[in-house]
Amino acid sequence: MGLDRRKFLKGTAAIGAATAAGFPQIWIKNSGLAYAAGEIKVGVLYSLTGTTAIIETSLNQATLMAIDEINAAGGINGAKVVPVVEDPASDPATFAQKARKLVVGDRCVSVFGSYTSASRKAVLPVFEKYNNLYWYPTLYEGRECSKNVIYTGAVPNQQQKDFVPWLVKNFGKKFYLIGSNYIYPKEENNVCKILLKELGGEVVGEEYVPLGHSEFSSVISKFKETRPDVIFSTVVGDSVVALHRQYKAAGLDPKKMPMASLTTSEEEIAAMGGEFAAGHFTSAPYFMSYDSPENHKFVEAFQKRWGKGKTTNFVSEPAYFQVHLFKQAVEKLGKKDLTPPAIREAAWGQEYKAPEGLVKIDPDNSHTYLWPKIGEAQTNGQFKIIEQSKEWVKPLPYWAYPGQVCTPEGLQQKKA
Amino acid sequence: MTRNRDAILRLVGYALFCAAILVVPLFVDNGYLLNKFARYLVFGILSLALSLSWGYAGILNLGQAVGFGLGSYCMAMALKLRTIPIQTGAGGLPDFMVWNNVQALPWFWVPFHSYAFAIAAGMAVPAVVAFLIGWFVFPARVSGVYVAIITLAMLVVINLVIIDQQPYTGGFNGITDLTTLKLFGIEFDAYSDATYYLAAITLSLCLFLGLAFVNSKTGLILQAIRDDETRVWYFGYNVAAYQNFVFCLSAAIAGFAGMLYTLVMEFASPTFLAVPISLSIVIWCAVGGRASLVGAALGAIVVTGVQGSLSDTPAFLDTWMLIMGGLFIVIVLFLPNGLISLIDLALGKRRRGRAATAAASVVAIERSESSRRQSAAR
Repeated sequence: MGLDRRKFLKGTAAIGAATAAGFPQIWIKNSGLAYAAGEIKVGVLYSLTGTTAIIETSLNQATLMAIDEINAAGGINGAKVVPVVEDPASDPATFAQKARKLVVGDRCVSVFGSYTSASRKAVLPVFEKYNNLYWYPTLYEGRECSKNVIYTGAVPNQQQKDFVPWLVKNFGKKFYLIGSNYIYPKEENNVCKILLKELGGEVVGEEYVPLGHSEFSSVISKFKETRPDVIFSTVVGDSVVALHRQYKAAGLDPKKMPMASLTTSEEEIAAMGGEFAAGHFTSAPYFMSYDSPENHKFVEAFQKRWGKGKTTNFVSEPAYFQVHLFKQAVEKLGKKDLTPPAIREAAWGQEYKAPEGLVKIDPDNSHTYLWPKIGEAQTNGQFKIIEQSKEWVKPLPYWAYPGQVCTPEGLQQKKA
Repeated sequence: MTRNRDAILRLVGYALFCAAILVVPLFVDNGYLLNKFARYLVFGILSLALSLSWGYAGILNLGQAVGFGLGSYCMAMALKLRTIPIQTGAGGLPDFMVWNNVQALPWFWVPFHSYAFAIAAGMAVPAVVAFLIGWFVFPARVSGVYVAIITLAMLVVINLVIIDQQPYTGGFNGITDLTTLKLFGIEFDAYSDATYYLAAITLSLCLFLGLAFVNSKTGLILQAIRDDETRVWYFGYNVAAYQNFVFCLSAAIAGFAGMLYTLVMEFASPTFLAVPISLSIVIWCAVGGRASLVGAALGAIVVTGVQGSLSDTPAFLDTWMLIMGGLFIVIVLFLPNGLISLIDLALGKRRRGRAATAAASVVAIERSESSRRQSAAR
């Protein structure tokens, strides 16, 4: 007889558990299918066309490379990881549509994706409705607590807690806050202002430019007028390039008035040219120049797979290591009940030796313990790492809002 | 009696199309696919709305997405107010307002507590915005490419304002995390038959009412304006008023489509009223056949459908945009009247030249003019 008592019990228990938790029944069918074919389907949802295609393509590549590595090493519990790649074309509506296809149509057990917060917000209803799991690699503004997302990028406390005091100590207390006009810069600046207040610092200007803005002459004349010690920049995309070029053209000196950025990576520097970035600072958990055996391996493999001149950055690194964390979670589950909620629970507390150092998914809030670093941009387009955290830093997505705390059950209000 | 036969054939064609879209849920038992098809139908409505102003009245509106986006936001605002915010619990402000340190609900959000108001606003707001633009444009006898430029500029302005007014509009992220609409005891879940039927019935109604409209006297006058504006002025018609009317009507329909789109997509985003979608509408309309309501709707469904399935196919992942571009060029070159003209070809009809149709509509007006004058003389 093919069906013995133990297997039968296990099967019914799994179904019982699934119905109790109210998952759509699809998942029971799906896990069976996935293993029958010796395949684990995962979605890869990064734009290959449209406005954010350049950076998102690097995320797509890092993800595919990690999947290849896992498959080359024998897959997960003998099953192959099969990526279903979609191109959401930098458009939130297309993101939502493709997420539906991956979750409902292809029955992926997890999806790796998104760069912008707008696209993450657009796919969230899909993942919450179908109780699936989204792995999001980008640093972001925090203040989100979805049980259907694993966040592997930095949140404000991880990027700023050491950075702002360091800037105050080395350059002074007068900050000018400049950002692109959307939620991420505003939240980062909320955090920055709290830190500055504690340190007795002062904000001499706060300004938001439209996304894609490229004319900074009025902003730069305000720099000259207010003479800040630090220009704290959360400008994103093409605007970063324009800001750096016009800063230099205006004859400002990074030694006296450096730009301190949370968003300028090797990619932006490659676009503007190293001489325009040199002397400015960025805080991030990962830089391409970081000296660790894991990072050397990562950079080498990335360039071998995708081309010699390719750069890695602080978004593509999490895009890479989160796939390995996914693998460990699925491994831990063994062969039974491979459902997104089960993967999520197995992912909590997983540790992985990433290129930036040992990272861990925080079981408290599904964000990730990371290793913040401060880098100074060099003329060769790389960062010189001048400071790094002595220990991993716990992610606190609601750091600036003491009344609220993210828990595995969702957001909770702390009782006073 | 060929005109009569044509009209009957057309009615039969429209009925067949509506029947086809209405029976889909009987064969598709998959929420995901229904949702996808509902999305295509919403685009169909949007394209049909442009066909009314562009195909029938010669007003090339490159800002068609303004109405669509405003409608979408009206629905999203109503749904957002009924979503219990996780940050503050019931009765609190929408989450993005809390993030932006807004203290009290802005006055223009307050009436959106009522669904009736929101649905009315979803059509009225786009119509009013269109009216204001039209009020400046048409009496000044601005036409052709200049209308296109002005409408495109308005689109960009409204888009920028929405992105900039983050505390009230959710900015770049749009309005997300919405509850599902419940009306008359029906829950319009994005994946349900109900939402699909809502889109399909709306499209069907728009098709038939639109057909009645374009064959009414107003419709004829509009077509005459398209073909020879000056001549219609000389007949003593207030051309600007007619143009503005169809412009507003088109915006209101687009607004309704926008409301449906929020239900189907479960969020509203400034990309719904951005330049790419606005230009796409023109392409759908051109591909399907702008001077045919069902053609325009079909164009949207076919183009977005092909686009969706091409980009879903791994083999075309890198090239789907190129293929779409190629298809557009082929269709515009070889089927200037759109895919719908294939039906005429299949029926063995020769296309009357554009000049001939132009003459025909003007002659029709002249005839009604002279009869009016005669009756006045009597």
